[in-house]
Amino acid sequence: MDRRITEFVAALRASGVRVSPAEAADAMRAIEQAGISERRFFALAMQASLIKDAKDQTTFQELFPLYFGKETPPPLAPPGGGQLNAEQLQQLLQQLEQQLAQLPSPELARLLRAMLTGQGLSPQELGQIMGALMPPHVSNPRYRDWMTQQALRELNFKQLERALRALLAQLRAQGMDEQIVQAIAAAARANQEALAAQIAQAVAEQMAEQAREEGHTRMRSRSESALLDRPFDQIDAGDLDDMRKVVARLTARLRTRLALRQRRGHTGTLDAKTTIRTNQRFGGIPMVVRYRKRHLKPKLVIFCDRSVSTQQVMAFLLLMVYSLHDQLSRTRSFAFIDQLYDISIYFAEARPEAAINQIFEQIHPTRSYSTDLGRALKQFCQEHLSCVDRRTTVIVLGDGRNNDNDPGLAAFAQVRARARRVVWFATEEQWRWGVYDPGSLSSDIYAYAPMCDAMHEVTTLRQLADAIDGLFVRA
Amino acid sequence: MLNAISDVRDLLATQQYIASDEISTAMFLADKLGKPLLAEGPAGVGKTELAKCWAKATGYALIRLQCYEGLDETKALYEWEYAKQLLYTQLLRDKLGDLLGDATSLRDAADRLAAEEDVFFSERFLLPRPLLQAITSEQPVVLLIDEIDRADAEFEAFLLEVLSDFQVSVPELGTLKAKHQPVVLLTSNNTRELSEALKRRCLYVHIDYPDLEAELRVIQLKVPGLTAKLAREAVELVQRLRTMDLRKHPSVSETIDWARALVELNSSQIDAQTLNTTLNVLLKHESDIQRAKRSLQAGEPRPERPERPRGGYRGGELNN
Repeated sequence: MDRRITEFVAALRASGVRVSPAEAADAMRAIEQAGISERRFFALAMQASLIKDAKDQTTFQELFPLYFGKETPPPLAPPGGGQLNAEQLQQLLQQLEQQLAQLPSPELARLLRAMLTGQGLSPQELGQIMGALMPPHVSNPRYRDWMTQQALRELNFKQLERALRALLAQLRAQGMDEQIVQAIAAAARANQEALAAQIAQAVAEQMAEQAREEGHTRMRSRSESALLDRPFDQIDAGDLDDMRKVVARLTARLRTRLALRQRRGHTGTLDAKTTIRTNQRFGGIPMVVRYRKRHLKPKLVIFCDRSVSTQQVMAFLLLMVYSLHDQLSRTRSFAFIDQLYDISIYFAEARPEAAINQIFEQIHPTRSYSTDLGRALKQFCQEHLSCVDRRTTVIVLGDGRNNDNDPGLAAFAQVRARARRVVWFATEEQWRWGVYDPGSLSSDIYAYAPMCDAMHEVTTLRQLADAIDGLFVRA
Repeated sequence: MLNAISDVRDLLATQQYIASDEISTAMFLADKLGKPLLAEGPAGVGKTELAKCWAKATGYALIRLQCYEGLDETKALYEWEYAKQLLYTQLLRDKLGDLLGDATSLRDAADRLAAEEDVFFSERFLLPRPLLQAITSEQPVVLLIDEIDRADAEFEAFLLEVLSDFQVSVPELGTLKAKHQPVVLLTSNNTRELSEALKRRCLYVHIDYPDLEAELRVIQLKVPGLTAKLAREAVELVQRLRTMDLRKHPSVSETIDWARALVELNSSQIDAQTLNTTLNVLLKHESDIQRAKRSLQAGEPRPERPERPRGGYRGGELNN
């Protein structure tokens, strides 16, 4: 039993659940207490001591039956549902022998016999059948159904149906009662399904076995730090869900960090009122000194380059910023392609995730190279300049590739003059800044750079989080 | 004492707590193995209630530590009682005078004072906070560490010593070891990932919203005044609300509140009028209430269509 549990733990590890040796030992102790007589409690005891994350529970539930699910397979139905008399049974068996002789492989013959006589496969027989097949070449449990189908196809499982039909036709030709023939057919089909399920189970076991042997070679791709360091342009749709969870966690962490910073960040000015009040209990002797707290809640204005290459980073930036809204006093956000779009209105009405989806649905880049920050900045100066004041931090998210349009430096300087800080979030690696790129022509990023207080490279989530964290540090 | 997992369920049932098999198994193991139990899940599914009921059922005292951002050792573990120390020095001034009066040099006086130091740093002046209370208690207790995910990560690290060895080091006094190992329950709403080290030391149970039948049993147990038909209707509606895209889904405790409200209002059926007046018991955001009303009145919830583009740019294929 201990061996089986150790194997199970190894399989859990292979499918990406972190189980420490201490937890495995706990599981053993837990089983001693809970007993193994009742399968459900046995499973729950293992789960309580091994699985420490809700999202790993599905892995546990998938793997558990493979290792401890050695329940006897459901009994197969007797031929014709048990309503055959001896003569009919004799007739059936005779025909069966004929059909068996015609089947191409001994494995199929064994399956057909099991289907019609209702005698289940012994473990050895099942082992032989599985041994005749190619082992599954994929160990990822996601492909379990597919691998099962492959196994069935290799067995030529469909042939069974044909053989059954031929057999039934023979029986009819011999003048057997139609009702009895139907009953035989129904029982045989039910048995066929049960056998297919049994084979599927065996395939799944093989796959789990393989996954365990591969062991740690297949590291889980969704580990948090790997996602944090993955460049935005390499993110595929499969990762998005995990990414969103990471973003949520990152946001929570940022918030904790902000709170800590505010708690520890003494401004150095004594708060006489609070100090006197706290020290009442020491008879007015100032044992604890309190400092005045000043909350730094920045006002933000965000410009996002809404193009395909920056789509992901824009989504994550907006998601994080709007999730931190309680730490900010006011946020205005704009997207630009060849002109400016005010996207704050979407966030006023919907939650950040929904709002971002709406923005992407409704603001499309065109086929042509049309990004024009210069024009967008001019438009901003005409219409919205009032929302930048001396407490505002302006963030520009983009690569500065302006398609040889006028970079609008005068407008940028105007914004710069009013704002507290201007921060540039560059969506390209630093070595590509300003480099001529045949795809998107020249880059004006170094024309804007002298007017920015900080330039951050944001090509991964970690860099983005650091850049956002930097907004809250008192400059 | 507990012999089987079903005993746990029966014990909790005496406190009107309906425990699922997961919960009973985890609770049983926590008691038998002497390990802390970490209960995770959405707000209001009865995580805190589990600890309270367990304490009542076993007759142990419940000590509760509510976590919050910025919680530190002095609030959770112990604090020296400065005021009392000051008061004692004031009152004992004469005695101190006697002690130090014939000291010949400053060094001599300081040495004499140092010899008496442990008077002032003894358990007499130690103000025990929940964790120390739980450890030094003469009786076995249930320690509830509520909403651990709200505390900072550093506090979590500090808990490790307490949770694995049930002992606390006070620099001035040495290590205090638990006389009775307390039953420890930690709850978390999963707003942030807890550290691996903490999770490793705990057993884990994930408590989710109950299914229809389980919630119905809870309602019938807690609100016996509600007729069976109305209770089923109410629970079905709550379950439906949970499938909607809302900012905050109604929890079990809110279902109970709502059921009580229905009893108080003498409602015989759940119609638009009743919903209008009582939906705010279930949903706590105005936008949620509006959305729920709309989709409940329209019958089946239908997918919401985005509004027409406002100043949207209808371009061709995405490229640049």
